[in-house]
Amino acid sequence: MTGGWIGFWITAVLMLAGMLAFTAGVIGANRFGFALNRMHAAGIGDTAGLFLVFLAVWVAEGIHMDTVKLGLIVFFMWFTSPVSSHFLSQIEYYTNPGLYQFLHREKQQKGDA
Amino acid sequence: MKKVFDRFYNLIAVICCLLLIGVLLYAVSLLPSYGEENPRSVEVVERYVEHGLEETGATNIVAGMILDYRAFDTLGESHVLFTALICVIILLGKDKKNMRREYDSYYTVEAESYHLLQTDTIVRLVGYVLLPGLFLFGIYILLNGQLSPGGGFSGGAIMGAALIIFAVAFGFETVDRVFTEKLLKTVTFVALSFYSFAKGYVFFTGANGIDNHIPKGVPGAILSGGLILPLDIAVGFVVACTMFGFYSLFRRGSIGHDITFMDQQ
Repeated sequence: MTGGWIGFWITAVLMLAGMLAFTAGVIGANRFGFALNRMHAAGIGDTAGLFLVFLAVWVAEGIHMDTVKLGLIVFFMWFTSPVSSHFLSQIEYYTNPGLYQFLHREKQQKGDA
Repeated sequence: MKKVFDRFYNLIAVICCLLLIGVLLYAVSLLPSYGEENPRSVEVVERYVEHGLEETGATNIVAGMILDYRAFDTLGESHVLFTALICVIILLGKDKKNMRREYDSYYTVEAESYHLLQTDTIVRLVGYVLLPGLFLFGIYILLNGQLSPGGGFSGGAIMGAALIIFAVAFGFETVDRVFTEKLLKTVTFVALSFYSFAKGYVFFTGANGIDNHIPKGVPGAILSGGLILPLDIAVGFVVACTMFGFYSLFRRGSIGHDITFMDQQ
């Protein structure tokens, strides 16, 4: 009986944390003004949010075929989503001529030199 | 004056939206309630559900519908894709008549380090791991169209996406070794003409009450469903070629190695 309650609370906390990560990602992707910031926010939902929700489902359901498949989905999302973010940010870095006004550290180093 | 026009415009927009909502809601109110049989469409649905398996040989009723009963519709869709690809080739393709040479800077990025992207280690590693799986998954979905959800369009879309990832991770030069404009045109033409002739034969014999000699096979086996499997493959090739052709044309203005353009330089 107690074990069931502990499992329920762990599930609830993990699920809420995952939802929080997704909410942060959605708000950030829509509200930030700069492409790299938006990409960072979107990446949070794809990685942390997905992983936390997967952990919650895993705790609630135990290991069987469906959760293993879900884990495979999480694995592929972790594999592809950060890489696509990485590639997009590279393209943004190389193609945006007005990028330096957003990169404060870069600007300071230039001033020092 | 502009303020008055803006206010008027907003008012008209709101009225139009309300009218649209009203019309749609009225149409919904005329639908039969949930769970009731719709007397207008029940005949066709019954036919498909009850006789679909024996008439088409496909365990996936949807595949039997779109590639057997309504194959003409799918034929039109494939030709729409082909027409769109031809239009994009005409509009964006670099050749002598388009004089795209003057706009070459439009396709190339000034920064020299941009070309380092083609040798990006992270993207390459992911390409090595993902691409074989992606191609296999696309082929699996393509070949299982008559047995399980999937078929030509979805399998072809996955294969096209895999080609695009291939081009992104390893550069266009790598894809150009196998995937040229000639190959794309040949594959698309052969697939579409095969579809047209095969389905035309079936329609001709079916409309005149002649046996068409195409074996249905055992339902559930991979070689079943009569023409559905080859037609799925044809549609899949057309979709994959179209997707990669769009990407390549929008990205650099040509499919494959552009020989005529290189000669001019």
